[in-house]
Amino acid sequence: MKSIVLYTEKIEKRFGGVIALREGTIEVRSGEVLALVGSNGSGKSTLTKVTTGVLSSDGGTIFYHDEPVTYTNPMAAQRAGIMAVYQELSLIPSLTVAQNIWLANEPKTKFGSIDEKTMNEKTAKLLTLFTGTFQSSFHPEAYVRDLPPDERQIVEILKAYSRKPDVLILDEATASLDSKQVSCLFDLVQLLKSENKGLVFVSHRMDEIFRIADRAVILRNGKTVGEVVLSESNEDEVVNMMVGSTVSLTRALSSGIDFTDKESVLTVENVANERLSGVSFDIKQGELVGIGGLRGQGQSTLLHTLFGNNRYTGKITLFDETLTFDHPKDAMDHGVALIPGDRATEGLLLLRSIFENLHLPNWAKYSRPFLKVKSAYSDAEGVSQQLNLVMESLDSPVSSLSGGNAQKVVIGKWLLRNPQLLLLDDPTKGVDVGTKSEFYKLLGKLQQSGTTILFHSSDEQELLDLCERVLVMQDGKVKADLSGDQLTESNLVFHSMGATNNNNHYEESTHA
Amino acid sequence: MPERNKSKIAQWWRNLNVRHSLGLSLILLVLTTVLYFILQPNIARSGTITRLLTSNFRTWLPVILVTIGQAIVILGGGLDLSNGSIVSVGNVILALTVTTTDEPGKNMLMVLVVIAFGLVAGLLNGFFTAYLGLQPVIITFASSFVYSGLALLLLPSPGGDIPREYTSVYRSTQVLGIPLALIVIVLAILIWSFFRQRKYGRFLFAVGGNDKAAYTTGVPVTWMKISTYVISGLLASLAAISYTLLTGSGLSSSGNDMTLASITGSVLGGISMSGGAGSVIGAVFGGIILGNIRNIISTLKLDSWWRTLVNALLIVLVLAGPGLINLIRGKKK
Repeated sequence: MKSIVLYTEKIEKRFGGVIALREGTIEVRSGEVLALVGSNGSGKSTLTKVTTGVLSSDGGTIFYHDEPVTYTNPMAAQRAGIMAVYQELSLIPSLTVAQNIWLANEPKTKFGSIDEKTMNEKTAKLLTLFTGTFQSSFHPEAYVRDLPPDERQIVEILKAYSRKPDVLILDEATASLDSKQVSCLFDLVQLLKSENKGLVFVSHRMDEIFRIADRAVILRNGKTVGEVVLSESNEDEVVNMMVGSTVSLTRALSSGIDFTDKESVLTVENVANERLSGVSFDIKQGELVGIGGLRGQGQSTLLHTLFGNNRYTGKITLFDETLTFDHPKDAMDHGVALIPGDRATEGLLLLRSIFENLHLPNWAKYSRPFLKVKSAYSDAEGVSQQLNLVMESLDSPVSSLSGGNAQKVVIGKWLLRNPQLLLLDDPTKGVDVGTKSEFYKLLGKLQQSGTTILFHSSDEQELLDLCERVLVMQDGKVKADLSGDQLTESNLVFHSMGATNNNNHYEESTHA
Repeated sequence: MPERNKSKIAQWWRNLNVRHSLGLSLILLVLTTVLYFILQPNIARSGTITRLLTSNFRTWLPVILVTIGQAIVILGGGLDLSNGSIVSVGNVILALTVTTTDEPGKNMLMVLVVIAFGLVAGLLNGFFTAYLGLQPVIITFASSFVYSGLALLLLPSPGGDIPREYTSVYRSTQVLGIPLALIVIVLAILIWSFFRQRKYGRFLFAVGGNDKAAYTTGVPVTWMKISTYVISGLLASLAAISYTLLTGSGLSSSGNDMTLASITGSVLGGISMSGGAGSVIGAVFGGIILGNIRNIISTLKLDSWWRTLVNALLIVLVLAGPGLINLIRGKKK
């Protein structure tokens, strides 16, 4: 048996009244990848943060190389050799890629000053680990503020790797990466494994867990509920341990409605701006249309443009009315709602209460003649029940919620407006299986009640499960409009990759 | 990515702006300096320029020193509204105690007392803001009243008399024709450049850029923040010493104008108010620009409220500048 590098014994952590972690027990062995799985709010992130000294624990013991240790800050843990790639990025936007990677670990000249040249060279070398998966504007001296999320994530990974840790924790490190980038990361993980490092892999993507990890520890409600050797297990078993019961991922499929005769709700003609170059499509009343493609191909920009956040040239027609949205308020007044992907910065006031967040866009409704707080409160209660929100009370701050529940608040605040057109920007990123399936049900309900939905997701399976029609974007254009028999995984991938002619590989994969 | 089509100068200019945000302050520095010299009647006469430089730099030195301190605090993501009051206290202590040249030992000790006061005052600011995590604006605004109250307590009405021997050292010392005040400024820049290239500089920008991220990366965020206030206090005490040598007397409100000037100077010098971007050299430029504006207004014999007006307009203009430019270009974020 391989030696144990890190052992956390019954770690506890409370945030105010909420217990985030009650018995976090994991065993990390050298030369092995341990997957840490669990629904959102099960305490995975908390456990990794306690282990790396970002949070202090309220109980339990950490053994590192068989010695009990207490790290009161990340610096101490890093010196000891425990590093993490965090879910919420730990990068400084105003510094360059190289400066971020080597922050607090800078190479020095013999005069003691920072050796920028060596630093940039070393960074360029590190970047070769991900060669071919990023844009040419991504180089050691580029500023992090100018990078898209996937490239930031790569910086984050390389930053942790460059410190040569004994234990490396990857907390949702693949969430923003495309499949090629994930492959590069896994090569890196294999390399570290062969160097006898201990690795912890936190992910919601089941296929990745089975691809890269050797063992899995399952957390539920802040408690370690089991451990499996993955080669002797299967996805169903792991999912069942996670949720405690069997959950069906797929929505009661297909509304079976023929949309060809329906009225157009949204017509987009040749819309272009900085990230979009001539987008045209048409959506019918009550349709649920997916937007797919590789990450960062203009999907988010398209949604934000429809919501009045970006300027554009071209023509957008909504309910037979040509629109010139200059501001999100214009879009809101026309019954358009946008649920953003980055919930922390675009969707929520983290310190304010759940109630306030839910009603942020809705106060006008309750304002005549005086503010009707009571009826607003009962509406908020209704929505929180509809969403199955797990919370202390409506008055607790949003920051006390787990990631999945916080995302529900973002959705809830727009539901209160009864939107006609709902724009969703990768809303299930980093959301656990249980929340996802609830969310899918909710979308189904909305669609049945006549809401038209435009849904961007970076998860291909999700698009296939949910949508009857998917627009595949590449380089700011709609590359393909897939529906019916055309809508297959291979077609989706094929168009995402930007292939233009039907080569053999494509033929094989579609007709296989 | 190097842009091959652009000329070297264009690239240098871009680098100056993107890396050091110095472009605008450089333009303002040149503009105000040229305007100031044009307005001088005897500019063509030999020796005028040297004389003007000497007298100007010794006048500007206190403000430039507090501006450098302020710039470092702002770079680290804070704000120091008490630096002017620290200058007042230092000025009052010196004016009260340094009255003869008979006891050089005691005089030296008092200079050290002033410096120690600056350090302790900065440490207190840092403790409350960084260690206890309270709002810098509120804490340093409150502490500014404590310090200026102390100054008023020590010296209720203007007074004190610094021996001429000392003031003339400050006024007329030159090394190789370079006035003392300018040497101090160059020295300050050199010391900064030394630290800029080291851990301290990198950590400072990291903390100002995103303190949470810096913390998870292993940067000692609290200590970095405290240190910026201590440095600001230290520079304020040095400003107090130079101000006292310049005026030769004590005034309990001597530093009052310097707080706003230090913020204006930092902003003019391209320091981002949200922290993490800018350069200390810019702060020096900012201090000089303010000095030029002051001189231009007095040369034109305008009322002194013009100075306040122009300073205020400049702050608004510089802070709103990037947004206005984007608005004109028709861009939206």
